[in-house]
Amino acid sequence: MKAASRILGTAFFLEGYEVQDAPRYGAERRGAPIFAFVRASHDPINERGIIRHPDLVVVADDSLVPVPGAGVMSGVDKHTVVLVNSGDSAEIWKQRLNFEGDVYTLPAEAADRAALRFIGAACAGAAARLLGVIRRDTLADAIRQELADLGADVVEVNLAKALAAFDSMQAHEARVTPIKPGSAAQYQPPDWIDLPFEDARAAAPAIHAGATSVEVRTGLWRTLRPVIDHDRCNRCWWVCSTFCPDGAIAVDPDGRPRIDYDHCKGCMICVAQCPPHAISALSEQAAQTAEKAGASE
Amino acid sequence: MSETRTHEPVETGVPSSEAKVTVYRRMKDLPSTHLLGSGTAMCAGCGGLEALHEVYDVIGEKSIFVNAAGCMTLLSVYPFTPFRGSWLYTSMASAPAGAQGVRDALDILLEKKRISTAEDMEVVVLTGDGSAYGMGLSSTSGAIERGLDFLYLCYDNEGYGNTGQQYSGATPHGARTATSKGEHGFAGYKKDLFSIWAAHQPAYVATIIGAEPLDLARKIEQAKRLEGPRLVIALAPCPTGWDFDPKYTVEVGKLAVKTGIWPLKEYVDGRVVHTRIPHERVPVEEYLKLQGRFRHLFEPQRDEALLAEIQARVDAYWAGVSE
Repeated sequence: MKAASRILGTAFFLEGYEVQDAPRYGAERRGAPIFAFVRASHDPINERGIIRHPDLVVVADDSLVPVPGAGVMSGVDKHTVVLVNSGDSAEIWKQRLNFEGDVYTLPAEAADRAALRFIGAACAGAAARLLGVIRRDTLADAIRQELADLGADVVEVNLAKALAAFDSMQAHEARVTPIKPGSAAQYQPPDWIDLPFEDARAAAPAIHAGATSVEVRTGLWRTLRPVIDHDRCNRCWWVCSTFCPDGAIAVDPDGRPRIDYDHCKGCMICVAQCPPHAISALSEQAAQTAEKAGASE
Repeated sequence: MSETRTHEPVETGVPSSEAKVTVYRRMKDLPSTHLLGSGTAMCAGCGGLEALHEVYDVIGEKSIFVNAAGCMTLLSVYPFTPFRGSWLYTSMASAPAGAQGVRDALDILLEKKRISTAEDMEVVVLTGDGSAYGMGLSSTSGAIERGLDFLYLCYDNEGYGNTGQQYSGATPHGARTATSKGEHGFAGYKKDLFSIWAAHQPAYVATIIGAEPLDLARKIEQAKRLEGPRLVIALAPCPTGWDFDPKYTVEVGKLAVKTGIWPLKEYVDGRVVHTRIPHERVPVEEYLKLQGRFRHLFEPQRDEALLAEIQARVDAYWAGVSE
């Protein structure tokens, strides 16, 4: 999304706008939500920081929508346009989000996992068309500028993805309507909650139990699922269990390894290391669909 | 506490590495259930977490981790922790100083008989390479100088991984990092922290890797048995920072040992012993080409000069190793 924000920011700039584009980092790791903001205006921009009331929200990964920490729908109202990279239809998303505003999807991108690397460019392309103030050529120039360091091949693929996404939004050109930012006088402070200063023994964040991290379900990160074929497992010296960085494979007293799917992040080290190749990788989505089908029978 | 603990080398008559009786004689002796809690925020396939969970099984829950800022700060985010013992967070440069305070506090409690010796805990410093090789080196030097009784575990992923893999004192020559994007990658050379630490003559120094769990368990067992400053560096293959598919974390780790680029060794009783000598060393490029951070050495054309230089450095190292 950082790439998308930079492409969009540069495109706005080339169209003569004043621009701010800024990524907002949490932890730099897989599975962590990443945000980026773009502000553009013909007038000087005095506002700083995150955007509280966006005109356009672009969601590159639809699995973030239910994650409270990601807060993808925070600050939207019915004038906001939402673009989701998802195989589900816009109608489904409107219902799911109980949202009155316009919702558009990028189904072509969601269908092709290999295209995920270029999702930033595709999002920028679609967003540019929805905004309606960035021309096709300007978008292409912005991509060439922003991605020049990555080599001509990378630029070409990203250009193709972005322009295809731009063209796919033809029917929805200029759906984004900017609203005037409020003046400082109208600023509504958040609902502060006063926290009295407590004694350190009460206020310090002490954790009084061990290994509470198991309450965090990192299994949600998984895109591939390792599945053990217990007929092929030769009950070795628990290679899978030792190498699993997350301690998500425990061995039963009878020597059978069990994968804890609540915490397995899907790194597939066990699949790569299992000596008799008894662990295979299934697509998580397919595995869940099969599970649901099995449960409903 | 006014009196500092000083380290007295343990007299065994024979080098400890030979005298030791290990419970880890073969792979089957490794634990099959694990102490470190799941659900941490480390990346999928994290080589550092792999080493830590193997180490923690040997150290046990009677431990206090003193954690300098880095990726592993994210292990314990209130109210969640994977540890069963205690955890303390310090700034990047200060973990060994924090460990001194914790050790002193435990010693005072022991002396006043407010805790029994059975309740004593192992103080473990946990830092990344940015802290160990750079910012925290001064406070580590001071802690060793004072003979602090502690274990230091460095997870070395050869860069500032938590902020996007900028180069650190541990970055190898030629690697691409967020701050070394030129044609030839990082111009500097990986600092020899093992030798820097060993030059202080502490009780124990060792290199380990999660991909060699038996060697790792024996070394942590040995470190646990000794008293005084004991320092261990775990090479931590990093899918995110080194740019490889997380399923190859162990593969990359094993190749680091087989190519000889990560020598497994220990310093004990004043001498360095290599615990694994790869006799038929795999060409180092087999290790390099699995990693995106070295892709520019192979594409668009092979950088023969740089590949030869990296290989020559590995060869020169092993030429100086006597068996």
